[in-house]
Amino acid sequence: MRTKLMGLLCCAAILMCSCAQNTAGVTERKTKLAPSFAPLTEIRAGRRNLYIIVKNLDSDYWRVTLDGAKAAGNDYNCNIYYSGTYAESDWDLQAELLDDCVKKKADAVLIAPDDSVRLAPKVSEVYHKGIPVVLIDTTANTDDYNICYMTDNLIAGQNAAAEMIDLMHRKGYDDASPVRIGVMVCTTTSQTINERLAGFFQYWAQNAPQGWKIIQDIRCFEGTAEETVPYAEALMQEYPDITGVFGTNDCTTAGLAKALEENERTDIGIVGFDYSDEIMRLIRNPDFDASTIVQRQYDMSHDGVKAAMQIINGKTMPVKFVDMGVVVVNDETLHSVKVQKVLVHN
Amino acid sequence: MKQKKEQYFIKTGLSLVATMIACLVVFSLSIAGMIASFNALMNQHDKRLSSEICKLMTEKMNSSIRYMTDSAQNMASVLSAQNFNSPADVYKELSDHREGSYVSIGFIDADRKIYASEQELKEFEKWDLLSTAVLADPVSISAPYRSGMTGQPVFTMFTDFTYHSDEHGWMFVTYPLAEIQNIAASESFEEETEIWLMNAASANIIQCAGENVYSIGSWENAYLVMSDINPDDKAAYNEWHSKMLCGEPSASFGYRIGNTAYTQIYSNITDMPGWFVVVRIPRSALSTTMSRFRNYVLIFISVLLLVTLMLILIMYRQSTREKKMLEQLSIHDSLTSVMNRRAFDYAAEQRLTRSGKDAMLLFFDVDYFKQVNDRFGHDAGDRILIEFTNILKKHFSELGFISRYGGDEFVVLLDTASKQEVTVILDSMTRDVHAVKPTEDPKKNANFRLSFSAGAACYPEDAESLELLKHCADLALYDVKKRGRNGYSWYHPKLDYIK
Repeated sequence: MRTKLMGLLCCAAILMCSCAQNTAGVTERKTKLAPSFAPLTEIRAGRRNLYIIVKNLDSDYWRVTLDGAKAAGNDYNCNIYYSGTYAESDWDLQAELLDDCVKKKADAVLIAPDDSVRLAPKVSEVYHKGIPVVLIDTTANTDDYNICYMTDNLIAGQNAAAEMIDLMHRKGYDDASPVRIGVMVCTTTSQTINERLAGFFQYWAQNAPQGWKIIQDIRCFEGTAEETVPYAEALMQEYPDITGVFGTNDCTTAGLAKALEENERTDIGIVGFDYSDEIMRLIRNPDFDASTIVQRQYDMSHDGVKAAMQIINGKTMPVKFVDMGVVVVNDETLHSVKVQKVLVHN
Repeated sequence: MKQKKEQYFIKTGLSLVATMIACLVVFSLSIAGMIASFNALMNQHDKRLSSEICKLMTEKMNSSIRYMTDSAQNMASVLSAQNFNSPADVYKELSDHREGSYVSIGFIDADRKIYASEQELKEFEKWDLLSTAVLADPVSISAPYRSGMTGQPVFTMFTDFTYHSDEHGWMFVTYPLAEIQNIAASESFEEETEIWLMNAASANIIQCAGENVYSIGSWENAYLVMSDINPDDKAAYNEWHSKMLCGEPSASFGYRIGNTAYTQIYSNITDMPGWFVVVRIPRSALSTTMSRFRNYVLIFISVLLLVTLMLILIMYRQSTREKKMLEQLSIHDSLTSVMNRRAFDYAAEQRLTRSGKDAMLLFFDVDYFKQVNDRFGHDAGDRILIEFTNILKKHFSELGFISRYGGDEFVVLLDTASKQEVTVILDSMTRDVHAVKPTEDPKKNANFRLSFSAGAACYPEDAESLELLKHCADLALYDVKKRGRNGYSWYHPKLDYIK
């Protein structure tokens, strides 16, 4: 009896250990794996081979970025291969793509890091192997790259806050009105998003009227516009006095815009980021007050390829960081030359 | 089967397993109590010390920033003393200092004209640095921003500067934020301590030191960073942030994110209005060594317990063997292996009192046993006793237990009171006993026939206690002996008057 009891206890212990091991196992990846590099331009012998890695191959924003690189490939006579991930959380897949670039003996690499912090050591490693590294759209937290073409997101966030203050005034709110702004982010770990948020809060704290407040309960969701809608609706329902919403990237902006349109919430203003059909519909609809901050991602990759070719040819870049600037698109600026020059690529 | 029955009525006390389980439970409870009080002590200790360490860290940061501002001030004073005639001369002199850890250095004259490189001028315009410069009294520091020249976060320090006797301008020096990070770096608690610069109004924070060196210099917002704080601690956080907004020079509070408890403290930066140094440290950081010590103690105690249990087990097995041997000696008669008198009395008493069922007690006497001994010797006597016992076992072992009560006297307690059943057995036994021979030699055995006498009494019919039952059976035996032996008899009340 005693032996049986000991046996039973041992079995239970082994079972518990194996269960614990199973629980601690690798978590399943939610998104698609990164595809192998594919040609973006015509591939011709004798030309330099440049590799570009983007954040989301399914996104319109990154399609425009690749268009810029493709045009530059033709302009500066080089072969360009491209790949990327499908979610910003897949920085580890970008690290694998960087390793692949080294194996393929790339002449230069252009990358938009999914994670400025976690991808920094790998960017540094590639740079120290003598391959020119050009960062586009997002920086990496290291000195080990040649040049970075991106939006200064702190400034872009400030522009968004300035536009939100203007938009609230345009909606008729005066300094004594109780303005409440809801904020939605797609991730809490992206430096791009955090800088936009920091810029927004910084400008708001310095320039918004005293009684105008940002709701401290910042909502976070990463998904398509369609998937974002319920989260956007929840934010609006939980804060009935909300007067404006701020979307920090293309997906949150599209999701917030779609939610406003579907629920006919013309009382809520929106300021977002990037170009999407959803936000553009609201900007063109006179019933809504909507704006979006559009980046020059076409120019980022175009200028990036140009710089990469210059570095390959031995030129030293005078600066390491180039702020490409943004344009504020609303119903007033939509048809301006400055805005149309940027929107033509979208 | 029979032995088990005997043991059932003799065995007493707790089993070893029960005793060991009880010991383990007591031990586990004591250890749990000890760990709980140890943890409570460590928590108190961590809470007090982490607050002290945070204070020291903020003071270190603040004094280091002061050291930087003092250096800039001293440099401005030394250059001011040279009484330059024009801003261009000042700028030329400053340009000679473009070395070391500066990202840029330059001059702003009394008309707010900026003397700097083209790229530096762009930065002035982009970040509106002039508005920070005019706040210098005598020093002001800009909010961190990303430098176009380096791509890294930087901050610019402005210092009052006098030239051309009484003209008032500002010298500016741009440092990489890494300078502050180097100041913040500390070998003690390097991985655990996080140091931020935090703007009270916007709740923006910029990391200066932390576990991941690559995250240093990145922007975050406290509303997001603190969004995972335990709901119970949110009020404390809001109060802490309110104190910062109200301009209180320093405040601390404790909170939890998940299972990690933190102590967080801020301290204002004199020359950077609206900005504060924030230090946070997980309280467990301090108790890492103590936790290790606690775990060693636990492992030591567990090994000790294991060894003790093993020793107890070995000793138990040895004592069981000895006990069995002693039991054999103390319970059983060494010649016949049936129970001895003492053991029988105890077992019979237990049997009668515990079950209360009908029983029968029989006394047996081997007839003329003394003569057997005298005629055939003691070995033959012993053989007779063993043979007689075997016959008793054959007939009664399934019905009860048997004892050699002394010499040639045996007693049997049966789980039946059926005289009819026992009569059949006794008759059968009589035939067996008659066939017993004292030696192997038929000649010597000539004219020998072994017989026995038996007296029986029933429980509870004849007596309700063992003593009385034995007495009744003894009377019945006496009656048989009186009538010439070689027979058996049942007790009846008349016998009480015979003896």
